[in-house]
Amino acid sequence: MAITEAATPSVLMTDEGPPVPSRAWLRRLRIAAPAVLIVLIFVACFVLPLVAPIAKPTGGDILNSLQPAFTPGHLLGTDDNGNDILARILYGGRTSLIVALTVNLLGLVIGGGLGALAAQAGGIVDGVIMRLFDVLIAIPSLALIVAVSLSLGPGLRNTILTLAFFSVPAFARISRAEALRLREQPFMVAAKLSGTSTGRILVRHLAPNIGPALMTFAMLGMGIVMVIEGALSFLGLGIRPPAPSWGNMIFQGQLSLSGTPMLVVWPSVMLFLTVVGFNQFGEALRARWSGP
Amino acid sequence: MRIRANICLLLAGALVVAGCQGSAGTGPEENQVGPPQRGGALTVLLDSAFSGSWPSGLDPATNTTGGGNLTQMLAIYGGLFRLVADDNGKNARVVPHQASGFEFADGGRTVRIKLKPGITFTDGTPFDAEAVAFNIKRDMESTCTCRPTWQLAAADPITTEGTDTVVLKFAQPSAAVITSFVVSNVNWVASPTALRQMGPDAFRIKPVGAGPFKVVSNQLSSELVLERNANYFVKDRPYLDKLTIRSIGGDQPAYQALLAGQGNVYEGMTTIPLLEQAKANNRLVVTQQPATSPYVIQLNTKIPPFNNKRAREAIYYATNVEAIRQGLFKGAYPASQSFTADGGLFHHATVPNYRTYDLQKAKDIVAELGGLSVDLGTLKTYVADQVNTALQTQWEAAGIKTTIHSEQLNGLVQNFVGGKWQAMLQTAGAWDPAAGVGVAFRFGTMSPFSGISDPTVDGLLQQAAETPDAAKRDQFYVQLGQRISDEAYAPFILAFAPYSVVTKNVHGPGLTTPIPPVVVNTAILWDEAWISK
Amino acid sequence: MSRSSPVPRVVPAVLGSPALRLAGWRLLTAVPILLGVSILMFILLNLIPGSAAVQLLGPEATPQQIAQLEEEMGLNRPPVVRYVDWLSHAVRGDLGRSLVSRQPIADVLPARLAVTGELVGLAFVISLVVAIPLALLAARRPNRLLDRVSMVVSTAGLSVANYVLALLLVLLFAVKLSWFPAIGYVPLSESVSGNLHAMALPAFAMAFPLLCFYTRFLRSDLVDQMQGQDYVMTARAKGLGPWQVLLRHAFRNSSFGLITIVGLNISGLIGATVIIESIFSLPGIGQYLLQGILTRDYIVVQAIVLVFAIITVLANLMADVLYAVLDPRIRYGNH
Repeated sequence: MAITEAATPSVLMTDEGPPVPSRAWLRRLRIAAPAVLIVLIFVACFVLPLVAPIAKPTGGDILNSLQPAFTPGHLLGTDDNGNDILARILYGGRTSLIVALTVNLLGLVIGGGLGALAAQAGGIVDGVIMRLFDVLIAIPSLALIVAVSLSLGPGLRNTILTLAFFSVPAFARISRAEALRLREQPFMVAAKLSGTSTGRILVRHLAPNIGPALMTFAMLGMGIVMVIEGALSFLGLGIRPPAPSWGNMIFQGQLSLSGTPMLVVWPSVMLFLTVVGFNQFGEALRARWSGP
Repeated sequence: MRIRANICLLLAGALVVAGCQGSAGTGPEENQVGPPQRGGALTVLLDSAFSGSWPSGLDPATNTTGGGNLTQMLAIYGGLFRLVADDNGKNARVVPHQASGFEFADGGRTVRIKLKPGITFTDGTPFDAEAVAFNIKRDMESTCTCRPTWQLAAADPITTEGTDTVVLKFAQPSAAVITSFVVSNVNWVASPTALRQMGPDAFRIKPVGAGPFKVVSNQLSSELVLERNANYFVKDRPYLDKLTIRSIGGDQPAYQALLAGQGNVYEGMTTIPLLEQAKANNRLVVTQQPATSPYVIQLNTKIPPFNNKRAREAIYYATNVEAIRQGLFKGAYPASQSFTADGGLFHHATVPNYRTYDLQKAKDIVAELGGLSVDLGTLKTYVADQVNTALQTQWEAAGIKTTIHSEQLNGLVQNFVGGKWQAMLQTAGAWDPAAGVGVAFRFGTMSPFSGISDPTVDGLLQQAAETPDAAKRDQFYVQLGQRISDEAYAPFILAFAPYSVVTKNVHGPGLTTPIPPVVVNTAILWDEAWISK
Repeated sequence: MSRSSPVPRVVPAVLGSPALRLAGWRLLTAVPILLGVSILMFILLNLIPGSAAVQLLGPEATPQQIAQLEEEMGLNRPPVVRYVDWLSHAVRGDLGRSLVSRQPIADVLPARLAVTGELVGLAFVISLVVAIPLALLAARRPNRLLDRVSMVVSTAGLSVANYVLALLLVLLFAVKLSWFPAIGYVPLSESVSGNLHAMALPAFAMAFPLLCFYTRFLRSDLVDQMQGQDYVMTARAKGLGPWQVLLRHAFRNSSFGLITIVGLNISGLIGATVIIESIFSLPGIGQYLLQGILTRDYIVVQAIVLVFAIITVLANLMADVLYAVLDPRIRYGNH
């Protein structure tokens, strides 16, 4: 439950425009629309290939390469290895979504938790935790990514681990900054004074308040992680082709962008829709939580 | 007897033309475009993944990537010999350039290389026999494996006679000595004075040679700026005033840079869709070099599964070369069944009884073996990755479980040295099979990078390398190809033939007229390159 | 009462202003961080198989040759020995010589650092100059046209890979319009206008995703502030106009988050610079670092990582000092 001192009618605060009678309906739509979009994307990627006649994403006939869209049997055409692009988008979506979700979840839970703890506990605990994260953050991402990837090897699990190296410290810092800001708020001071334990403060008071900022960050992070995963392909790491992911499809496509623009367009469109969906959803949730 | 032997050897230079005062401008420089114009600056773009990377500097003795950095090295050092061809890319031959000629003696065990008089390095010191001998000695003693695989004689292998003749003595007669010059670092002669004055560490950054251009600035693997060598030994050459070499991240940005006018030349474009765009664009000229190095799937016959000949045969039958040629590369590269290609020497298009694509036979063998699984690796390049992906699909269709991976150099060497590799897609052969990363490297018993241990193969390799008679060498190579095929040691795929893409106003041998690559990339004759205003 | 403060009571009050004490304390903790960074990086590099010897010998190197060269170069010494050797030179300012090119790193680093530094600096400037006003305007009237449009555009911008954006920018502005060069770098010493002209597209390609990110984040935070916080109501009740509330209070608080993110981005950006540098053929440090890792040139990698760690630590230090300046309560830590 959001804890603010007064539930202020938003009319006072901002110029949201004339009050609309169906405001509640709109608010519900604002949450529902992106939610539906996200669900559709998930269904498309995880369920559709099981029930609809979607081709396999790899093992295409190379004599069939680079067919344009609407070729019989290939709604979006084929790529330079003859694989069906629609199938690669759907299966690739599975991979990209899993990577993005896991990385952000790890960041949110581990990073967010540790950051808030550091801010709340202060002192040595704060110092040690944050300095450890500082070490990780201070290493140039490129060096860290390449070194970790080269030692771990390619593949889904290792890609997630590599990217988690970034999301966890990032969430920790954001979470700590937000928690620090809140620490001096009257309600927090009050909770402290009345002897509430650190754990309870974290869960009942801090989490709901820094939650929204972290959620916003996580939603933004979804898109970023998916794009970075594609950048890993640039360095020869990440999800190894021919296994598809939106990121490595975009990378493979841009190698000959002038010649094969559609190879980049389709996964980019999917990525865009997914990012829009998550962001709008995050915004709507945040508006809901912090509103009256 | 001796005279006859010498004449025989001289005639054996059917491969090589010994010119007395061979003019540098072999082959006409222009077609219908008009005479070459003096002046102008050229920017060459090189792919940072391959030739656009020169991390160990530009000293011939230590530049590990010298074979890929042909443009840089040739512009700075010129070369004792060079490979030239007619305007249509045919009739390729090695001709002396800074050398004036050579002669064999001693049954082919001794070669005397005569130098052209009056050549100086860009620091003014003389390019004489002592300088050349110093360089060759230095190259042979350096740790870099970029030196030629010569078996030098034990006593005094490198000496000079007078100021213009260098004498090399070998333990065995070597048919490909002169060709090996254009394939290795001994071709590039560094100024010994500069080396002594600067020290080797500084020299590799700002080298001094006797080539058509001299170094202005060098940012390793990023940018090399060169200016015209006013004292170049060929009169009125080079045509260009300035040559800038830039590293760039791939075909697409290079293509854009050429169109936008920030680059004039891009070597080695491999993405087929972009090539088709470039060919259709009338502001660019696309030239395909003849093919000389075929891709081969090396099979490690020393460990399972490919110690079993049937398993190897299954790979032959499961591989559909034609589909790869057409589907992936739109027929751009010719197929090969042996380690030669149509741009190189001793080429035969087919090998009798070569096992060609037969899916059913492949499936049958897999069933007979009770299953087959393969780990297929390669060096990380666009073409190799594409071919590996296609191979995986094809082999899986035959029931062969295939995993693929591609590595950078360090990883690749680790793979080979570890000995656990099963199949590797590599390139084999060169313009002359006995020179360079040759056939011995991939198929000889003693090489750690070979999957084969076969005395017959070794015997054929050695005889071919030592026989000066071209017809006999041809026979040995035919037999070698036959042996490799019969024993199913390594299926060949297609012969890579690189493309150069230049803007319309650029001309030159290797740029707008094809020259076969000696190994992977073509040696452009930079002193003959010119730009029309 | 808060149990802790970022400033330990050990530090004598004599040192003066709290911000200075904070800076001093953070500088002290910088040393173990830098040590930690260099140790961690060294460990990671040693976990990767292969060595610079392979790079120096070439693709035909035999195991014996590799072993011999490694011995000559001292690469087969135990990692601890090699680390201490490196460290003892580094603390004296000697970053060593590249294993592969034998160039003193101090010769190569400044010029390359300048290129990347300029690229990153321009990217930050462009992104903040656009993002802050945009976010403020959007938060001023949430859910109106400007807000919605900027949100959609920034979301689109976030889902575009920066290399795709870079290539598209070049296709449009360099190839079609010829307004900017497609590749190349012009040193500032040669021509300032030429330099900016050449850096325009790369800087914008780097700035755009940052811009989108900052706009979104800042706007969300601002709207959050304006809707939820009690001080806002107080301020409005006092008669302050919405802009004043936005700028003096909401933005001030939101800048915490923004500063944090900007600080985070600094070391993260070097990943992006590699791609941009290779597309635009810029002689920057990203390529140098990547080459160093791929050729297992651990001297080069350690040097670059150290330099960047120092920059990041300094940047984060400034961020923390800014926190303290902006929020007096944090400065003092406890009441």
